[in-house]
Amino acid sequence: MIQMFHVSKSYEGSAPALSDITLNVPKGEFLFITGPSGAGKSTLLKIMFGSEAPTDGQIIIDGRNYVKIPPADLPGLRRRIGFVFQDFKLLPGKSVFENVALALKVMGVGPGDIKARVNRMLSYVKLQHRANFKPLSLSGGEQQRVAIARALVKDPAIILADEPTGNLDPALSNEIMELFKEVNNRGTTVVVATHDRRLIDLFGRRTVMLEGGRIAGQ
Amino acid sequence: MSGGANLLYMLSDSLRCARENVMTAVLTAFTIGFSLAIFAIFLFVSINLNGFISTWGDKTHVVVYVKDNVASDPEKFGESLKRVPGVNSFTYISREAALKELRDELKGHESILEGVDTNLLPASFEIKLGSAYRDSDRVRGVADNLKRLPWVDEVQYSREWVEKFASLIRFMELAALVIGVFLAAATVFIVSNTVRLAVYARREEIEIMRLIGASDTYVKVPFFMEGVMQGVVGGLISFAVLAVGRYLMLDNVPQYFRFALDVPFPAPAVFSVLVLSGVLMGVAGSLVTVGRFLKT
Ligand SMILES: Nc1ncnc2c1ncn2[C@@H]1O[C@H](COP(=O)(O)OP(=O)(O)OP(=O)(O)O)[C@@H](O)[C@H]1O
Ligand SMILES: [Mg+2]
Repeated sequence: MIQMFHVSKSYEGSAPALSDITLNVPKGEFLFITGPSGAGKSTLLKIMFGSEAPTDGQIIIDGRNYVKIPPADLPGLRRRIGFVFQDFKLLPGKSVFENVALALKVMGVGPGDIKARVNRMLSYVKLQHRANFKPLSLSGGEQQRVAIARALVKDPAIILADEPTGNLDPALSNEIMELFKEVNNRGTTVVVATHDRRLIDLFGRRTVMLEGGRIAGQ
Repeated sequence: MSGGANLLYMLSDSLRCARENVMTAVLTAFTIGFSLAIFAIFLFVSINLNGFISTWGDKTHVVVYVKDNVASDPEKFGESLKRVPGVNSFTYISREAALKELRDELKGHESILEGVDTNLLPASFEIKLGSAYRDSDRVRGVADNLKRLPWVDEVQYSREWVEKFASLIRFMELAALVIGVFLAAATVFIVSNTVRLAVYARREEIEIMRLIGASDTYVKVPFFMEGVMQGVVGGLISFAVLAVGRYLMLDNVPQYFRFALDVPFPAPAVFSVLVLSGVLMGVAGSLVTVGRFLKT
């Protein structure tokens, strides 16, 4: 599903965020990416998502080979990938419902369909009662679950989740991870970046350890 | 997939965002409105003056004024006119006839003649030239010959002032064109700047929309709609400015100059062209800016 060959990424004026990453994520895989803060976990996910371009190397996503993803392909790629952003990236002016609905709107899904799917998704993440709230009036954990709902609602082929449980208590974290597992059981490829050892141990899936932008262990 | 529903979403989205940026949108609409109005005023006045000129230009003829201090003898004068090459036919116009003709031509504007000495107008001959003598060089030649006749005070050929006036009109038309181009450019610039502010205010939102898979079109539509709406309102404003302005001016402009305030096209045509131009300016301004933003 996702393959990376000798991918490197350097931001101007700092040490390389990623160096020479070669990684294969087969279809239907559930993969953890872990490592200390600043190791390059977010950068790796962003490159898979096409929101950062690698300085070197190649990526194959869904059978298509990219050195650099052409801008015209980005919307299509992003509709097939659900991304849970570490900083949520919710629209402050729109309600929880609208934020989640937007992911379907931009794909051209009809309003009736949207209503049903968004409501179902909100109840999965236990936020039905917050549907009409604005994101900023929610707690950090609630905002995080809105971000998760928005990534999952479109039934994407790939889920890339960047610290999806960073703001959740252990019980809720487990529930969210169960949700990812369920989605994964239905065939979705899931990549979760986290430094929560507890979760990794609990779920026991393939784990890639990053350190200083290099793969330090699998 | 439902394209119709999707379009509906985009429209409602753009309406909402237009409501959020009411102030800048209104300012933009006014900018469009006033630029269009100024351009239209220039255009209309020069078209009116031009129409006025071409009516008078058709009457190209040579007029020979009789000296005041010679005894009036139309017969003898006529004989000498016949001997000048190029003169085809002529009509004698006495002082009295000249005054009457002037009154007739100023019908409705007679007030201009108040206080004018009725003897001011000299007797004259209106001369029609042979068709071979109608270009401006030859007219001048004939006029020079006529001027040598001892009883002739002054020779006027209407071309002279028609041409002077016409060149003034041409200048005005050029000015209207230049002003139009500048105003259009300035308006697009201003519109694109207000849009830049709007885009800047919403850059995070646009960025997030693109991150969750919105196409460029999806992002552009609200701004496009905003441009259309600003353009329509701008067009309405310009029409209102022109209509009200004309109404207010009519009573304060001397009657003989009122023709300059005529509207040279039917009102519905003026209306549609103004609104259409407004929309063009609004849309150009929006899309230029959003397009530039999306490229980054
Ligand atoms: N936009 C950027 N410009 C410059 N440097 C960046 C940028 N984004 C990330 N970096 C740098 O790249 C390195 C990797 O960052 P990244 O966000 O991938 O780490 P991370 O593993 O996700 O850390 P965390 O666990 O804190 O989220 C860091 O040193 C960071 O400072
Ligand atoms: Mg990170």
